[in-house]
Amino acid sequence: MEDIVTLNKDVSIVAYYFHNRGSLLKCFPKKMEYEGKSVTFTKTGLRHPTKKGNRMIHVFDMTDGQADYRLEFDAESLSWTLVSIADMHYATPSIKPAFAS
Amino acid sequence: MPHPQSSLHLPVNCASAEVMHIDLNSCFAMVEQQARPLLRGRPVGVTNRKTANACVVAASYEAKNLGVKVGMTFSEATSLAPGLILVETDPPKYHWVYQKLVEIMRSYSPNVTMKSIDEGVVDFSGTIEHINRRPLPEIGSEIKARLKDEVGTWMSCNIGIAPNRFLAKLAASLHKPDGLDTINHKNLRQILSTLELTDLSGIAERNQARLNSAGIYTPLQFLDASAELLKRRVFKSVCGEDWHHRLRGWEVDSQEWATKSIGRQYVLEDRQPSEEVLRSRLSYLCETTAMKLRYKCMSARGIFLYIRYANGDYWYDRKKFKSNFFSNAEVYRRATLLFNRRPLDAYALEIGVSCYGLEPSSMNQVSLLDEVNKEVWLTEAVDRINSQFGEFTVTHASSLGSEAVVKQKIPFGSTRYFELLCSRA
Repeated sequence: MEDIVTLNKDVSIVAYYFHNRGSLLKCFPKKMEYEGKSVTFTKTGLRHPTKKGNRMIHVFDMTDGQADYRLEFDAESLSWTLVSIADMHYATPSIKPAFAS
Repeated sequence: MPHPQSSLHLPVNCASAEVMHIDLNSCFAMVEQQARPLLRGRPVGVTNRKTANACVVAASYEAKNLGVKVGMTFSEATSLAPGLILVETDPPKYHWVYQKLVEIMRSYSPNVTMKSIDEGVVDFSGTIEHINRRPLPEIGSEIKARLKDEVGTWMSCNIGIAPNRFLAKLAASLHKPDGLDTINHKNLRQILSTLELTDLSGIAERNQARLNSAGIYTPLQFLDASAELLKRRVFKSVCGEDWHHRLRGWEVDSQEWATKSIGRQYVLEDRQPSEEVLRSRLSYLCETTAMKLRYKCMSARGIFLYIRYANGDYWYDRKKFKSNFFSNAEVYRRATLLFNRRPLDAYALEIGVSCYGLEPSSMNQVSLLDEVNKEVWLTEAVDRINSQFGEFTVTHASSLGSEAVVKQKIPFGSTRYFELLCSRA
């Protein structure tokens, strides 16, 4: 069964990186801080926009190699939400992810 | 290309292959693996609900290699692949990939038809001389590279190139995953000689039996069969003639069909649902059906309701009205008229509502009847609130509780309501 923990917590993105996707330079989160811990993303899964009513939300699926993180950026309030952490059991077993309980 | 209806017996179409069929490999599973890198290389199944009886709607190639097939229940699939990871569908994700695919396809030709959420056809005819001067296989390779670049590195697709849509789809299915094949008049016989009848899209068990009864056992025999034989003896309709043309590379599948009915159905989550639950689910289905109607700028004159019972019985009723309707309340009121006539012998298992007798909506027309105007204004006001703050911000009290249970699922065939679906996801 799917290995997913839903959090829906506000987080800080303290570093970004830029990457060419198609013809445009796109911005992605690089480092996230949450409750005194920090996670450095090593790979971008997918970025896709979605809408909640009239609000534009950008969804970022990121990984640090130890877990997959789903982040949402609210383009109206300019805030970041950590929606869920998944797939911790499919990572290298030696290192625990920063948010694993 | 002219439609060859006038002539029964046609030779193989020797025109150059200018139709490209693009099919994303195991689309939903691949998009999930793209989004969640730790799932890559693992058997993944995508489902609409995470329950034991839920059906696998897409499986990754790793899962398919272990014997998992689309349509299996989760318990069947896990018995074959014990490590199967079941992921719930995420429509906005697929919608974005769909949009990117359409964007890429439209950059080569204005003549693009999406056949479903994960496959589409690009017709290059008329563009070869001026825009796309390179050979189509080269453009196909470029599309594959752009998909990886613009969506993600895990993405791949099958591409088939042929003189008509049917053969292009067949070409796309030859080397999965990540294939790129061309079928033309030169290699048609050679390719058909390597296939079974059921490898042809549209030939399943029943059509295979029909063909077998006329002594046709292989695609090559099917190709060589006369149009007369296929029309009179095998398919007993004009479909036989269509097959004759289709196999020879003539276009017969470019017809666009108008929407005849709009509806929704739902398999109840409770095996012994109470009257209250049933009415709540019905109300919700009516609301979403009415939303679809308005999304398509249509109104309806008829309503159809069916119930499948736990004891295997099936009941349906339909009614056509003199006045047309489009609002949530009216669809529910009229469906309730039918619902109240249903037999009460067993528990309902599945319920479905659809509207037919569709015609362009008259919501913009001010009516002489004040109650009609009030209904239009109320519906428009509620639609505006829901559009601003999210669907079901204002909803019928009778539907309360259903929204969390009856989730909108992925449309497999048409993508007509994809925007509407994603606004609710």
